[in-house]
Amino acid sequence: MGVYMASVEIQKVRKCFGETEVLKEVSLSIREGEFVVLVGPSGCGKSTLLRMVAGLELPTSGTISIDSKVVNTVPPKSRGVAMVFQNYALYPHMTVRDNLSFGLKLAHVAIPEIEKRVKEAAEVLGLVKHLEKKPGQLSGGQKQRVAMGRAMVRQPKVFLFDEPLSNLDAQLRVKMRTEISHLHRRLHATSIYVTHDQVEAMTLADRIAVMNQGQLEQVGSPLELYQNPRTRFVASFIGTPSMNFVEGELLYLIKAPHGVASAGFRPENTFLKQGKVSLGEGQVVLVEPLGSIAYIHISLKGNYLVSEMKGHDWPEIGSTTEVFIDDSKVFYFDSQGKRI
Amino acid sequence: MNRRASLLPWGLLFPTMAILSIFVIYPAIQSLILSFQDVEPLSKRSFFIGFENYEVLLKSPDYWQSARVTGSFLLLTVIPSLVISLTIAVFLDANPFFQNGFRTLFLLPVAISSSMAAMLWIFIYNPTAGFLNYFLDVLGIHGPNWLADPDTALIAVAISTVWKELGFNIIFFLAGLSAIPNELKEAAELDGANGWQIFRNVTLPLLSPTLFFVSVVSVINSLQSFGQIHILTTGGPMGETTTLVYNLYRDAFVKFRTGLASSEAVVLFTLIMIATTIQFRLAKKRVHYG
Repeated sequence: MGVYMASVEIQKVRKCFGETEVLKEVSLSIREGEFVVLVGPSGCGKSTLLRMVAGLELPTSGTISIDSKVVNTVPPKSRGVAMVFQNYALYPHMTVRDNLSFGLKLAHVAIPEIEKRVKEAAEVLGLVKHLEKKPGQLSGGQKQRVAMGRAMVRQPKVFLFDEPLSNLDAQLRVKMRTEISHLHRRLHATSIYVTHDQVEAMTLADRIAVMNQGQLEQVGSPLELYQNPRTRFVASFIGTPSMNFVEGELLYLIKAPHGVASAGFRPENTFLKQGKVSLGEGQVVLVEPLGSIAYIHISLKGNYLVSEMKGHDWPEIGSTTEVFIDDSKVFYFDSQGKRI
Repeated sequence: MNRRASLLPWGLLFPTMAILSIFVIYPAIQSLILSFQDVEPLSKRSFFIGFENYEVLLKSPDYWQSARVTGSFLLLTVIPSLVISLTIAVFLDANPFFQNGFRTLFLLPVAISSSMAAMLWIFIYNPTAGFLNYFLDVLGIHGPNWLADPDTALIAVAISTVWKELGFNIIFFLAGLSAIPNELKEAAELDGANGWQIFRNVTLPLLSPTLFFVSVVSVINSLQSFGQIHILTTGGPMGETTTLVYNLYRDAFVKFRTGLASSEAVVLFTLIMIATTIQFRLAKKRVHYG
């Protein structure tokens, strides 16, 4: 398959639906060939932003440029973008072959070229056996592959993915995630991927843009966001299980600097047997064994903490245990949720 | 399974079976039997005459004319009714703002009884005081005597029929259209389809089950149309609005030729069955169920 790349420039884009402002002056630059994941909770505006890049929604203000050309008023078909939808959006009355070739036929691409592209996409995605089937005869994973194939054959400048794996079961989601990752490495296509699943974001992205309440909270590489979150929201959103936060009395124990409203530390830096700083004794409320590790949920002076524990020597539910942290790995946030 | 449990399904089916047997199956069988008999008017005496009633029918110029009228009426009602209602439904589906008010407006004629509706159209078609000719006069056109002119009577009855059925069709089309996921239209838009191409390649195929249902019902309704013809034209002028059903009514209840009318009922039933079978055959290739 060919190599498709374009830069995407989103500048001060706002979107209002009536009185409701769903996007507040969002700016984001996406480089050629980059895989950017927009991640955030439901209703944060990430899908709306993606739909505006696709041309399915018009921005209220601001500009969207593809390959340095402003596309605000350019219809979707002329933007050189292809989109993979959450519910696959396959034409149920067409065979897989027709689904893949529909866009090419509309664009009056020569029949031999259509056949070549369909064959290539089907081979890459393992759909050769299924070309004459209709979507209703395919499994969820196969449908998702057809949806990706439909985007691929058009050889767009930008791939857009709108929560493409959210309808799949957990096992298939992991498999498809790997396939998307392989595909990106193979095609080096500029991709914008929307998800609310931060694991998907971490594993797929070159850069992650974390969104909250219509705004970009932070943009950076997965590791950068994990190791250096700029806001409490990013700190809590990135990482599974979520970061532990403590407030009030416990801030004195960890000698938090002046002006700190809350402190956060990851479950892997929260220990039960020994550590640098003791937070006192808490009660074990839940144990989640995951095989090689377990998550121990502890209630401590009004704070709810999770500790990642290796091995199988877990405390009993209801027992008390002393909690330690590594104070060099604590993040401090002010009352606005900004990192200090 | 004990005896009581095995009788339960039959017990539950009994009321429906009883009603169908008394009001549908028994009269249908009786019609078939009567169609091979000569029945004396106003008496119970009848004689088996084989296919004589059918021979009379096939040799009757009036019957062939009513068949021609029925064919014309079918074309004048079913096709415009489907096209207009689909167009309105597509417009309302694309403009939800208009949907509530207009949906009620278009459904109103369905709620009116066919005799009341026909009375309204008598007023509209009145050659001297009717609204239609009044508006044509305003435009400088001299309107015909719609219901009395052999050239316009069938068209006039067809218009009233289409108007009456429009709402029913629109409701079904709107339901069918709302079941098509918007994402499919968006995907087609991204695939480069324009409005017409989206309609032709996505909307219409996915609406085909509804289109099929509505067209079958419309054909059957059209072939069975009676009330509006009876009130608007009583089959005239010069038999130009006498359909097969109206001819049957006249033979059965005006001329009391019960045997002949029964053979007409059998022929009409066969025609409706053939029309519906053809539609089902076409549907196998063209209708996409999910």
